[in-house]
Amino acid sequence: MSGIAQRIVVPVVASPSRRWLRRYGLAAAGAAIIVAWLLLAIFAPWAAPYDPNFVDVAGRLKPPSSVHWLGTDALGRDVASRIIYGARISLLVGFTVVLIGGLFGTLLGGAAAYMRGWAEEALMRLTDLVFCFPPIILAMAIAAALGIGTGNTMIAMLVVWWPKFSRLARSLVITQRSLEYVEAAQTIGFGPAHILLRQILPNAVGPLIVLVTLDLGNAILVFAGLSFLGLGVVPPTAEWGAMVAEGRELVQQWWVATFPGIAILSVVMGFNFVGDGLRDWLDPHARNR
Amino acid sequence: MTDENRTGLGRRPFIAGGAGLLGAVLAGARPAGAQSAARRGTLVIGLDISDATSLDPARVAQYSNPLPAHTAWDSLVTFTPGDYVNVKPLLATEWAYQPDGKTIRFKLRNDVKFVSGKPMTAEDVRFSLQRVMNLKDQPQQYIAHVESVKVVDDHTVDMVLSDPTQPILTIIAAPEFVVMEKAAVMEHGATDAPDAKEKDTATNWLNDNSAGTGAYRLTGWQRNQQIQMVQNPNYWRGKPGFERVLIRHMSESAAQLLALKRGDIDVAFNLIPEQVATLKDDPAIEVKGATSLDFIYMAVAASPANPALQNKAARQAIGYAIDYDGIIRNLIGGNAVRPVSFLPVGVNGSTEALTKEIGFREDLPRAKKLLADAGLPDGFSFQLAYGNAAIAGVQYQNLAQKIQADLARVGIKAELAPMDQLNLRTMYLGGKAQGVLTFWNPPAPENLLWASATIDRVAKRVHWDVAPDVRKLVADAAAERDITKSGALYRKYQEVMVDQANHFVLIQPIYQVAMRKTITGVQLTAAGWMAELSGAKPV
Amino acid sequence: MIRYVSSRLAMAAVMVVLATLVIFLISNTVPGDPVLTQLGDLAASNPATVAEFRHKWGLDLPLWDRYWIFLSGLAHGDFGVSIVSRRPVLEDIADYAPATVELASVAFLLSLVVGLPLGVMAAVKRDSWIDHVARALSLVGVSAPTFWLAFVMLAVFYGALDVAPGPGRLDPVSFPPARITGLLLIDTALQGDWDTFHDALAHLVLPSIVLAGATLGLITRTTRAAMLEALSQDYVRVAKAKGLRARIVVMGHALPNAMLPVVTLGGLAYANLLAGAVMTETVFSWPGLGRYTFQSAVSVDFPAIMAITAIVAAIFVLVNFLVDLSYALLDPRVVKK
Repeated sequence: MSGIAQRIVVPVVASPSRRWLRRYGLAAAGAAIIVAWLLLAIFAPWAAPYDPNFVDVAGRLKPPSSVHWLGTDALGRDVASRIIYGARISLLVGFTVVLIGGLFGTLLGGAAAYMRGWAEEALMRLTDLVFCFPPIILAMAIAAALGIGTGNTMIAMLVVWWPKFSRLARSLVITQRSLEYVEAAQTIGFGPAHILLRQILPNAVGPLIVLVTLDLGNAILVFAGLSFLGLGVVPPTAEWGAMVAEGRELVQQWWVATFPGIAILSVVMGFNFVGDGLRDWLDPHARNR
Repeated sequence: MTDENRTGLGRRPFIAGGAGLLGAVLAGARPAGAQSAARRGTLVIGLDISDATSLDPARVAQYSNPLPAHTAWDSLVTFTPGDYVNVKPLLATEWAYQPDGKTIRFKLRNDVKFVSGKPMTAEDVRFSLQRVMNLKDQPQQYIAHVESVKVVDDHTVDMVLSDPTQPILTIIAAPEFVVMEKAAVMEHGATDAPDAKEKDTATNWLNDNSAGTGAYRLTGWQRNQQIQMVQNPNYWRGKPGFERVLIRHMSESAAQLLALKRGDIDVAFNLIPEQVATLKDDPAIEVKGATSLDFIYMAVAASPANPALQNKAARQAIGYAIDYDGIIRNLIGGNAVRPVSFLPVGVNGSTEALTKEIGFREDLPRAKKLLADAGLPDGFSFQLAYGNAAIAGVQYQNLAQKIQADLARVGIKAELAPMDQLNLRTMYLGGKAQGVLTFWNPPAPENLLWASATIDRVAKRVHWDVAPDVRKLVADAAAERDITKSGALYRKYQEVMVDQANHFVLIQPIYQVAMRKTITGVQLTAAGWMAELSGAKPV
Repeated sequence: MIRYVSSRLAMAAVMVVLATLVIFLISNTVPGDPVLTQLGDLAASNPATVAEFRHKWGLDLPLWDRYWIFLSGLAHGDFGVSIVSRRPVLEDIADYAPATVELASVAFLLSLVVGLPLGVMAAVKRDSWIDHVARALSLVGVSAPTFWLAFVMLAVFYGALDVAPGPGRLDPVSFPPARITGLLLIDTALQGDWDTFHDALAHLVLPSIVLAGATLGLITRTTRAAMLEALSQDYVRVAKAKGLRARIVVMGHALPNAMLPVVTLGGLAYANLLAGAVMTETVFSWPGLGRYTFQSAVSVDFPAIMAITAIVAAIFVLVNFLVDLSYALLDPRVVKK
């Protein structure tokens, strides 16, 4: 892309700091949100004003007040404390599913693409197959077969999670494997594992990081959704999607469902803002345009 | 590129246009509704009807479908709201056991016409009951001891029983045992032949139509949407008050509440206690309570998988560690009663006073002492399973968590196991469950149906080896025709149940049904069909 | 070309069958017994009744026989009878599908009508406030949990403000039109019943906005990226250099070329809408396929689960196939490879 063209399509002239703010302001805000939630999750026992599982049916469904900042739920538990503890589950599940699914998918996709031939074909058909499943049916069938619980729900998610990483890794490896430096490495006599892990992957890591970041939000959203449908955590564990489900019928007691929903929205938004910023930053094509 | 500012994709008209369009779509989208004459002539009921699989009375077996069935069809006898001890006449004016001791002779009303205008005869009665017997769907199980039904004359039928010690009148009051117009339903494939199970093809038609003597005629059923009914002009108790009755499927209680407040529906059946509380001050709405005969109970099995539960004292400790009053006062807003055990308050031999006298109550020192007696001073753990559902607005999930917190006070640890209904029932019915939170609703208000269940199939599920004297006690109570003597026997039965400590009845809901004051005459009943609509009319 | 299409079609059919096989095997490991939820308490305790029910629904046959029966039925377009509703599954699906198709279509249309212009404007006026608003809006749209958004929308616009109609497809007082397609908007329009049409349209507003939330972001982002790509192409610059007015350049030259990725992604997004409406349908009491799917899965209604799996898999495979086909038509090298 020529310099002239760039100047033509970038009409706005702004001070560097304002441009930075415009481009990365959202990402910075997203990072701040995530850090805040991570800190709350880690230090939940100190941050939460009450025991999240303390039941007091006489004090149930109290509106937000100075005693209970975000009110109490149908069993008189402190909503704020439950949201703080709920961050632990959501973040844990998000990171576990995306990291395990991402690692597995990436290695499989990368290896298949590097080996080419029937291995690659078989992998692509397998990912096609996974994309075919109605996710709800799959998740529910697995939950029904294994029982309801955080671990089993994560298994169900992992089953459908890895293929997109496989596909991305495959396309990245295909692009990279024909490049000169790979051919050079082959000539020198490095083995395929070395080339794949030490040469190609580091060069392809940018898009993968973007996908991981965006996907963290997505995983948290999906888990909350399954939890909302009753497939997530075992009570009395506090979890955001389950909390929204508990408050779904309580229109008058709006705080029961509204605040956990805002928690989900904020953390997912945080990851999306950061992922979006990373994409801009890592993709020179988009950056320079 | 300065001329980009003139691209003409003006955003203001775009946004304004969108908002205007949205406004136009929403404005006046609500038909004059509540005021219109058609609306006034229609009784609209909000109800969760997702459970219904058939509206053919002979196949009615769920929770919501008895209401339309009872509205479209009449049975021979009935229960009036509030009295579930004495059977009352409906299509039959009188009945009596014949000298042989096993035949009941029913005299029929002679002024009853079907919706088609044809008169009801004894042959219609015989055909209808015979069809239920030969169709062998679920309702047949409750009248399995009926040997035959015979026409004596145009307005007299005999019902011959193979086992006259088993109750029958209380059972045939249910809307499964109604009278159909033989000619009309035969036209659509109905048959009462012995091979009706294979040959009867009328169910499809009966899912959308009725040919009975009830106040309204069924004219359509869109699954999970609505059930439509129109007035029966030939109704034998006089012209019904509404032109049409519409039962709208509304699974969400919040939707029912909002629709009721706006006047979109006249009756809301599935409100939760928190919502009912907000209606108390609404001048347009009246909340009626009806004590049901349903209850939520916790079954605790002497499970082979859990030695602690095999100890009766340990199970009894559970019974004394639960905050029953807290549950009823708070979780269901006080709208419930609690029976001693498996016989709901309102049937013979079960009252709230008796619960205070011989039932479980919260008594933590006693629970701790029982645990010590059982050799488990530090408590024990057991698995408590429940489904993802709510009864009378009480989520099993909340109830389970409340019980978990209650039991923790004496060191008993309930490990919650939420599961789908399918796995729950498989586990419970297969005797694999340790603790289960579940629900019991009777097919008919007959004491024996509860009592025999507990000493028979339910006993197996909780691994209770019922002693012969307990079996004799229940059989004697059922066969006893003197109500007071029978009540005394049932009291003894309940004492046995408490001592055995396999079942803890927690909540017997007083259903809170909210109605708009623009209608009147809807009577709630606990007999199994929710409400009498025949006397309903606009104000 | 014909060989390419036929081999892809054969592959697609194999995919669908494999998908049903996997779901079949998983559902069969469920410890729960579907018979017990379908029979009353009394009947479920009677071994003879249970055995008879099992036999009637073919649940007593060996696993592979049952799968074979399903497959041969599938070949004849027969999906069997639902254990729960006791009706042919196809009849059930025909009842529920139009509600979902209507909702998903309106939601998709909505996200196109808003997302396309927004994406185009964001690209044309890159780095302007509208670009940033579009970006933030689409990111928030993707981030909001559907089930929560549905609750909030209903509580605010129906419950508190009372400006939108409530849950369901029609007002309780409206009677549904005689069924032609099952799509209320089309059926009422065909029959000239404009009051009911209006009612159905109004009931679609809230759920379709909720459902469109996520898709809108996707469409906006894709449009913006594709437009930026197109605007930087030589022919656009040539057109501009020739002095054509910006509007003509954008609408006449860049936009048509930017549409391909949008259409591709749109197709997949639409398929996702069809499959992903379960939460919106739950909160809005919408009698659609999502809820049917959920209920079938909860009750392990084998025939229904298998049918839905086959249909959803077929939709995905078909959409994928069409996408690939459109590429093949545009780029003959794909076929040769």
